[in-house]
Amino acid sequence: MHIEIDEISKQFGATAALHPVSLAIPSGALVALLGPSGSGKTTLLRILGGLEYPTSGRVLFDGQDATGLTVQQRRAGFVFQSYALFRHMTVFDNIAYGLNARPRATRPQKAEIARRVTKLLDLIQLPDIGARYPSQLSGGQRQRVALARALAIEPRMLLLDEPFGALDAKVRKELRQGLRDIHDTTGLTTVFVTHDQDEAMELADVVVVMSMGRIEQIGKPQDIRARPATPFVREFISA
Amino acid sequence: MSDATFRPATEETPLARRILIGLAVTGLLILVFAPLVAVFVEALRDGIMASLESLASRDAWAAIKLTLTIAAISVPLNAIFGVAAAWFITKFDFRGKAFLITLIDLPFSVSPVVAGLCIVLTFGANSAMGAWLVDNGYPIVFAMPGIILATMFVTFPFVARELIPVMIEQGRAEEEAALTLGAGGWRVFWTVTLPNIRWALLYGVLLCNARAMGEFGAVAVVSGKIRGETATIPTTIEMLYQEYLSVAAFTLAAVLALLALVTLVLKTLLELRHADQLAATHRH
Amino acid sequence: MRPLVHRSPMPGLGLSMGITLTMLSLVVLIPIGALLLKGANYGLAGIWETVNRERVWAALFLSFRLSLIAALFNLVFGVLLAWVLVRYRFPGRRLLDAAVDLPFALPTAVAGISLTALYAPNGAFGVLAGEIGWKIAYTQWGILIALIFVGLPFVARTVQPVIEEIEREVEEASATLGATRLHTIRHVILPMLLPAALTGFALALARAVGEYGSVIFIAGNIPLVTEIAPLLIIIQLEEFNYDAAAAIGIAMLLISFAMLLVINLIQVWSRRRIGHV
Repeated sequence: MHIEIDEISKQFGATAALHPVSLAIPSGALVALLGPSGSGKTTLLRILGGLEYPTSGRVLFDGQDATGLTVQQRRAGFVFQSYALFRHMTVFDNIAYGLNARPRATRPQKAEIARRVTKLLDLIQLPDIGARYPSQLSGGQRQRVALARALAIEPRMLLLDEPFGALDAKVRKELRQGLRDIHDTTGLTTVFVTHDQDEAMELADVVVVMSMGRIEQIGKPQDIRARPATPFVREFISA
Repeated sequence: MSDATFRPATEETPLARRILIGLAVTGLLILVFAPLVAVFVEALRDGIMASLESLASRDAWAAIKLTLTIAAISVPLNAIFGVAAAWFITKFDFRGKAFLITLIDLPFSVSPVVAGLCIVLTFGANSAMGAWLVDNGYPIVFAMPGIILATMFVTFPFVARELIPVMIEQGRAEEEAALTLGAGGWRVFWTVTLPNIRWALLYGVLLCNARAMGEFGAVAVVSGKIRGETATIPTTIEMLYQEYLSVAAFTLAAVLALLALVTLVLKTLLELRHADQLAATHRH
Repeated sequence: MRPLVHRSPMPGLGLSMGITLTMLSLVVLIPIGALLLKGANYGLAGIWETVNRERVWAALFLSFRLSLIAALFNLVFGVLLAWVLVRYRFPGRRLLDAAVDLPFALPTAVAGISLTALYAPNGAFGVLAGEIGWKIAYTQWGILIALIFVGLPFVARTVQPVIEEIEREVEEASATLGATRLHTIRHVILPMLLPAALTGFALALARAVGEYGSVIFIAGNIPLVTEIAPLLIIIQLEEFNYDAAAAIGIAMLLISFAMLLVINLIQVWSRRRIGHV
């Protein structure tokens, strides 16, 4: 799905988290929002997911104004930094949650839900953990379960907030490739937030560098490396 | 939809909120505030002079004195127990710790009447120990020691269960540091441990005291309710009420209600000022 | 085998252990032991003979049944209170929060006579109820109201810290997966509160079964109808019928132990499933 961010701004009380920013994300792209903490990248992601409402501006999905859509209506697969798995549910129930939450008329049959969950467990290469609880999983396994749970609702896009933030270096490398593979198989428009420039450069097709609520530069990783547009970008990517 | 009408995903609709708040407020007004107000209304039914006069009666004074004496003895004893038990449980590792904690908590799940019954059966004149004590001039049941024991029984866990979580959280590092610096055991306790637990200790003592002064069931069983001798404030309230001396009964009740209110105010102040030094979760 | 007490450089082992065990024994264990011993001497058959009488059964059943209803009410109302107090900001919230503890702080005898004054046929609420022909004081309704009063804080106070700890992201995750707010509350929030709520429920139930002071004034104490089990013990004691008092006491003690066990099982179960209490 093609996403267009049109002059979005966000005020929290007196402080401006986002000055008006505009950004077009082509269908099927894998985009990184890169910046230090407080740069507004997470706020922008949450606005896309419908978790925050912009102070001004519009969000367009495939050319249609989506600003007024509720979280539920957006069908954005959202992966939280803490993963936010439901502790009292098994992995299976976590992944099936979005399907079970649908109104009866559109809810798939039990067997169909089971089939889809099994398929997703295969996709994240953890076919045998359906009966476990989140507390019994490693950090990397939790992240992949959170991803599978987001994919289960057949999302129109995938939004990830620091998806590798809570993991150690080795697991991080493995999972980067995992996300790339899942993006390539599903073809979903994917936006992820990160403060790690290696991660952004290695994984994304397009990198959006942000600072202090503004977009500093948009470009392909190699272009940003070769021609930083502002002193901030030069400083940030050389760090 | 504008910014003003956007409802975050973690909030209920304004209507739902209003209904829930309304239910909570109404429920507490009827269930909690109304009985509290009723105590004072009934006490002042014949005017404040009548209430004060009833307070000045000999029996009322005797009851107030007895209750204060009981609290003055049983609360410090329970505070000493609470500190010792918390020290033993949090500073040492031993087998059966969980079981010991369960035993300390036991009085909370025993009916006060059963607690009183236990003390009558142990120390009453019909038991071997009780008979011996009575023969030697130390009666326990139907006398002050029995009331103190009953009061201590029902308030037994208050201080310990407030201190244990706080001391677990604070760990042993500060005491260990003091030891390596050459401090002796008592010095460590007075200069390191006690300053760290003083607010939690005060909190526990406060709740312990409120319950000690207000205990009725256990005391009713062991005291014999001898007017002017073993009748505490709560048992005197009962006697006055049974004799249809409503104003006198409610005036004494108002004294205890005031004590409860002061306790709640102090408790709330402690929670506001020293939340970090109190047990993280309060269960009573 | 592990040593009984691990060696430790901490001072005061002997003193703190001595005070703890001596006072625990003197105040709690020996008295409870005396009750159990009395029961043992009296014999199971004797206990059964005492308990197995219509009046005793009626009292035990009444105490347990009304306590259960009161605890169920407090389960629902306590969760609602905890939610409102943690999640909403409104004028008077602090006062409301402090008021939840009033039933803990107000002596039971005071609560007892005050509830009676309110709900008696000539009391403020009693008159209102009387207009629709509803008698509250001196009936089982009165006992129920007293038991609701004494058990009110338990569920609210055990659930409040759990609500404070719920991560907002978990609720947001549920919404992004398409769940309505109601669905999130039913399937995500309430199950997370369940272990704490059940613990509070069991505590409220245990308290209500043994409650005496706040109930006897409003109960009317009519044998077989509004006579609670603790009152039966007192009646037996006043008749110097120690064996019978002990028998009923033991029956109540067993109910308490059973509930203590249930509380512990709930906590073990929830720790195993969710990894914390």
